Amino acid sequence: MSDGNVIVESYVVFGRWIRKTLRTPAFLFFSLVQPIVWFVLFTQSFARIADIPGFLALTGTDSYLTYFSAAVILQTIIASSMQSGMGMVTDMESGFLDKLRVAPIHRISILTGKVASDGFRILIQTLVIVALGAALGVRIASGVPGLLVILALAVLFGMAWAGISMFIALATKNSEATLMISMLTTFPLLFLSTAVMPKAFLPEWVQGVATYNPLSYIADALHALTISGFEWGALGGAFAIVAVVGAVTLLATTAMFRRAVSA
Amino acid sequence: MNAIVEVDGLRKVFEPDIRAVDGISFRVDRGEVFGFLGPNGAGKSTTIKVLTTLLRPTSGGVRVDGHDVVREAAAVRRVIGYAAQEVGVDDDLTGRENLVLQCRLYHLPPGQIPDRVDELLKTVDLGEAADRPAGTYSGGMRKRLDLAMGLIHKPKLLFLDEPTTGLDPQNRRALWEYIKGLNDAGTTIFLTTQYMEEADRLADRLAIIDRGRIVAEGTPAALKAEIGADVVQIAFREDGGEAAGRARSVLAQIPGITGVQDFEDGLSVYAQGGPALVPQIVRALDAAHAEVARLTLAGPSLDDVFLKHTGHTMRVEEVRRPSRMLMGRGRRRRR
Repeated sequence: MSDGNVIVESYVVFGRWIRKTLRTPAFLFFSLVQPIVWFVLFTQSFARIADIPGFLALTGTDSYLTYFSAAVILQTIIASSMQSGMGMVTDMESGFLDKLRVAPIHRISILTGKVASDGFRILIQTLVIVALGAALGVRIASGVPGLLVILALAVLFGMAWAGISMFIALATKNSEATLMISMLTTFPLLFLSTAVMPKAFLPEWVQGVATYNPLSYIADALHALTISGFEWGALGGAFAIVAVVGAVTLLATTAMFRRAVSA
Repeated sequence: MNAIVEVDGLRKVFEPDIRAVDGISFRVDRGEVFGFLGPNGAGKSTTIKVLTTLLRPTSGGVRVDGHDVVREAAAVRRVIGYAAQEVGVDDDLTGRENLVLQCRLYHLPPGQIPDRVDELLKTVDLGEAADRPAGTYSGGMRKRLDLAMGLIHKPKLLFLDEPTTGLDPQNRRALWEYIKGLNDAGTTIFLTTQYMEEADRLADRLAIIDRGRIVAEGTPAALKAEIGADVVQIAFREDGGEAAGRARSVLAQIPGITGVQDFEDGLSVYAQGGPALVPQIVRALDAAHAEVARLTLAGPSLDDVFLKHTGHTMRVEEVRRPSRMLMGRGRRRRR
């Protein structure tokens, strides 16, 4: 196919996106300001949720802040992965994608390098949130090994979820549509999951949705790691979801990408 | 095997039934500058995209440096450079970073990259601006950076799609010099343009394309010589074409006039030995009561060649002021 190998080429593409990300003011905003606003506003307004009888028994903590920190991580993963397709649309519009397409590289590196950079961005953002949570008094029950699992879960799920935005971007080739559709399809799912509220507290129909909502499984694992420690059932469920979501978006995105870059 | 590009019966049909390129054949020889001249929408960019492996032809054979563009696309990509009409530079990266990135995409050994980048920056006179983000560059600088990005791997064949569209005359002339310099150094160049002057100045040979078909091909001099005559352009004072109609019949009877074509509101008259015929033309027009507003005599231009072969003019606004909206730092023009 080409002179180089796909890992090196992906790394070159990855490096470009990291450089771009670090130069974008929006990155600073999404990474810092948004989680702060979420942490402060939500935990202040909803602090008394923890007083509802049964909260401690259901969640294992009497702090809504601790419970909610998993939601902030998840929210950040989703907000960040929603941006994934935007860069691809920019490249299509500017003609940069054509530049990559005539270069003697494996074309799939254009996609893998981009998605890897999304994963790296999510890693940094998750670290920022964990640090912020620690500053506010959130202690991770599972310790340093648990933190590493949280980061791994965030990065892997983030890249899997980024596929949705990437798919929409490649299908619509339009940045507004990409942002709107990704927002409308993914954001409500956060509130229809167990991320912000224990399942038993949710209205019945929402409980129904939450059961089939992949975000619930990620949230449950994050809650477990933060509040109680390694719960293998929750972790197994979360990584199974990552595998399933990842397989679906990987296949769909790769197919759509091949269509977009092939002659 | 002196041809580096061989195109045989190329067609590209877009759904539902837009025949962007409708059965063209031509060849480009090694070492030459080959120009593709035609108006907007004639099929120039579509052709260049097929030749650069960006678009798949509907039918026809296209070989670049002996490789089939569909079956051996990877081999083709290794020998070509391409600067698209829409400038594909990354605005967030500096000029230097854009070039380094491109070097790595073309698998240059890391040790050679700094020298190669410096050399390219010098070639296109971007040394001083090298460490500023490309987003702050002017239209001319962006075009030059884009050109340099197409030169990373010292391609045998460089494709330039409307390299000077949107540039002001000064930047345009500077870019012509770079292109000539590259060609002198041995690079074969395939360029598309909608500017007669550009085709005339740069191209060793050119093909004129209109509505997806090649209507004429040859050296600029030969194409103009084909007209075989000087061109007298006449504009009439009277509207509605009646004067032109009357003039047409009397002019056709003058010996030495080889053709009469409508041109905007007047006529283009092809005349052998133009200067000597002017008095006769004026007398004939006078006799036909066709009042002349303006009469000019010139050697044939590529404009005339285009008009002769297509029956219409190119109607391009020749470069006036650079259009900031199209070319400036504003990012993108949608395709």
